[in-house]
Amino acid sequence: MSEELKSGSRLEKILRSGKFAVTGECGPPRGADPEVIHKKCSLLKDKADAFNITDNQTSVVRMSSISSAVIMMQQGLEPVMQMVCRDRNRIAIQSDILGGAALGIKNMLCLSGDHQKFGDHPQAKNVFDLDSIQLINTVKTMRDDGKFLSGEDIKGAPKLFIGAAENPFADPFEIRAPRLGKKVAAGVDFIQTQCIFNLSKFELWMKQVVDMGLHEKVFILGGVTPFKSFGMARYMANNVPGMDVPDELLQRMKNTPKEKQAEEGITIAVETIKKLQEIKGIAGVHIMAIEWEEKVGELADKAGLLPRPVL
Amino acid sequence: MIGTTRKPLDEVLQALEGKEKIVVMGCNGCAKACKTGGDAEVADMAATLTGAGKSVIWEVTPERTCYIQHTTGSLAGHEQTISDTDAFLVLGCGGAAQVARQALDEMGFVKPVKIALNSVGHLDTIIAGKLAIEQCQECGDCVLNETGGICPVTKCAKSLLNGPCGGAQDGKCEVDPQRDCAWVMIYDRLKALGEMEKLYVYRDPKDYSKSNKPRTLVIA
Repeated sequence: MSEELKSGSRLEKILRSGKFAVTGECGPPRGADPEVIHKKCSLLKDKADAFNITDNQTSVVRMSSISSAVIMMQQGLEPVMQMVCRDRNRIAIQSDILGGAALGIKNMLCLSGDHQKFGDHPQAKNVFDLDSIQLINTVKTMRDDGKFLSGEDIKGAPKLFIGAAENPFADPFEIRAPRLGKKVAAGVDFIQTQCIFNLSKFELWMKQVVDMGLHEKVFILGGVTPFKSFGMARYMANNVPGMDVPDELLQRMKNTPKEKQAEEGITIAVETIKKLQEIKGIAGVHIMAIEWEEKVGELADKAGLLPRPVL
Repeated sequence: MIGTTRKPLDEVLQALEGKEKIVVMGCNGCAKACKTGGDAEVADMAATLTGAGKSVIWEVTPERTCYIQHTTGSLAGHEQTISDTDAFLVLGCGGAAQVARQALDEMGFVKPVKIALNSVGHLDTIIAGKLAIEQCQECGDCVLNETGGICPVTKCAKSLLNGPCGGAQDGKCEVDPQRDCAWVMIYDRLKALGEMEKLYVYRDPKDYSKSNKPRTLVIA
């Protein structure tokens, strides 16, 4: 993999130096109080290299990703600004990319975005002027060519490390690795995958990725989510689109006494991380402890990922 | 065709508040096919309005109300009735109501034209007399030649040009599990046609200037 830095972010430096990267996640509050982010930051600090700031995830209105990312930086953590195509056209997208970069944001994750049907404003009009792959290409064009989508020159190109998500488990499986290839061709630098529970299917996908040589062109971080309880595991298995939770994991959670289920969830996640570390082409993990930020440190520690490298 | 559904009667009566003598105008084009504005539905509406205390002084159903020559032709010779009426109630799409208004303007009448239907899209009838679905949103820049004849702009909930997203499961769309995922359909179709390479081509952002509204078509 190239060692030339595109953004100079901490996450990029870790990955390009060949170290196993760890990213986490921080959901902005449903209000204007920055204290909520301060608290989450104090739980997350030094537990991972960078932290995704979600962009109105599940289409529920929250503090904006850009402003939450800035608040996070003020606390000394490095954000990955998520951006979805649902709420902005190409004018607003490029404008927010410039604004985010000007404020010091160095990592960005390009997503299509959850459909508004799932959120708190199902009556909203969506945009989807671009899709996630076109968004990747937009950031890459702005950064590397110094040009807007219109072809006009940018005065001061945004230096961003470009990320995207990929779901190895969605249908049709046969095209999931080639679709990653499309994202790579569009200019993505790193990938965070959907939560991995079905490791054998994930390994099958990674084999295709490696056979295509994509692991030499993009850093792949495996997504890991610890179950808080059997109820959460069952919910994810049955209600979250594109999620593949094998029955044996559900049974394992179900057979665990209620008061021990959270601990078991962490144990499963630690096992997953250790297995991921052995898979060829995996450059790191992305820990999505949904509204469970206090456990990120424990999970990273038990998986032997702490302390994080100092750059 | 343009799909239409009935507005609730309360909403129609509210629109006609204070109007006593009503002309009910249907459309023997799309609204007839949708069973919302053909001769039969015009007669039903006239009976309903009569029951609500209105006086329906004329029922008329032009061949296609959105073609101004059909509408003007239906109105010609009925100037006295038009003059007497307090309002027109159109059982047609939004275009039909506006063409009716224009036809009346051109005949020198200033009459309120109200609408009894909601227009719900450019729809294709796939089960005659029973079911129509939306498959084309007239984007002005058709991609069907590249997508196996299935439109992702309309049939994908996110209009992805580089789909599928990560949410399809068992071939169904995450937004509506009753609906087939457009990109899974495109995948199946391209595979059957031996054109899978088209799935792996990066598609640039669409030129939405071609669908900026309102559009005009100069026919000749």
